[in-house]
Amino acid sequence: MDMDSFLRDPLSRRRFFASSGVSIAGGSAMFLAACGDDGGDTGRVVPTTPKEADAADVEILNGALDLELMAIAAYKAGAATLRGELLQVGKLFIEQEQEHADALTTAIKEARGTPNRAKSSYDFPQLRSERDALRFAVELENTAVAAYIDALPKLTRNDLRGTASAIVTNEAEHLSVLRGALGLSPAPQAFVTGEAA
Amino acid sequence: MVPADTTGEERLVIVDGDADSVQIAAFERDRRELIRRGLAFGGAVVAAASIPVLLSVRNAFAAGEADKTILADAIRLERIALLAYDKVIDTGLLSAGVQRFAKLIAAHEREHADALTTALTDLGQPRPAQPTVKDIASVVKGIGDVKSQADILNFAIELETAEVAAYYDAQQKFYDAKLLQTAASIMASEGQHLVVLRQASNKPPVPNAFETGSK
Repeated sequence: MDMDSFLRDPLSRRRFFASSGVSIAGGSAMFLAACGDDGGDTGRVVPTTPKEADAADVEILNGALDLELMAIAAYKAGAATLRGELLQVGKLFIEQEQEHADALTTAIKEARGTPNRAKSSYDFPQLRSERDALRFAVELENTAVAAYIDALPKLTRNDLRGTASAIVTNEAEHLSVLRGALGLSPAPQAFVTGEAA
Repeated sequence: MVPADTTGEERLVIVDGDADSVQIAAFERDRRELIRRGLAFGGAVVAAASIPVLLSVRNAFAAGEADKTILADAIRLERIALLAYDKVIDTGLLSAGVQRFAKLIAAHEREHADALTTALTDLGQPRPAQPTVKDIASVVKGIGDVKSQADILNFAIELETAEVAAYYDAQQKFYDAKLLQTAASIMASEGQHLVVLRQASNKPPVPNAFETGSK
């Protein structure tokens, strides 16, 4: 699927992100694990023991890890279309997404969980140009911002909330750079929540 | 609610943003059951391990109060930032492009302050006192010494960095779920301000994978 079709078709995007552990519902993104099974509209996990709290954190962190691993693969795929300064930006963002993935992996292990691994392949839309790669990256970063903000209150440990907020701010910064490269306002809104994907 | 694990580490699980005596009672039941079954704390450790648990329960009751304090501090910080941007915009030292962006940031800071003020008044609290220009130095010093656009950009980077640091800290203290999310969306906005200010200063726009406001 080409990039224009991907961006025009909400169903395709929902399917794509669902295959990568992210649910898109009602215009917001969330990690599938964080949806929980409580059936409530808050989607909040309510563990009653430390073990359950760890398990809940691990589910959310693994959802985040899935998205980070996909972002790394996406930036690597998109790098083939980039040149010069933008290629350097792409490489930097790959490094930073990898740092996020490493931190999440460590946190999952500390919570006695098993970190998810990257998929062997991802069904990305066709990235034929620099503009395609930038637009796809914007889509990914927006989805990541929305998913992290959704997940934040569900994390049970204060330090994990701090880490998640530092990551979401970094993703928002990536968005700013990417939007600027596309000729868009780098800071269009006072509240960065991730646009409806 | 799970205030503590076997290491005594504090935890709060957010449910609809409020500590609930029923949940706390339920937690205490679960904890006692775990202790009885020897799964959570063993023998002589019980007494010591119970202390942070009880403190955490008190913290849960006090969480709503903590939110109010953090909100009031955040409002003050946003208003100080707004005062600072208004002051540097009036210096006449900024190029048209930077001036335009400074006005946009000022508008964002005003939106942040307004949203946080609404959240605070919704909690039944009065609006905090309006800070004055003199208060800017309590966050970042030197606004009176700026003599160039470069000085102003450096000042603004310091200011935004201080804001990010404050919200990073708040993320680890806020209790209410919606406040956590609002604060994160504001922290992300301050990060985007930093990107543009750094670019205007010919600095790396995204130097760290984790934006915590540390220098």
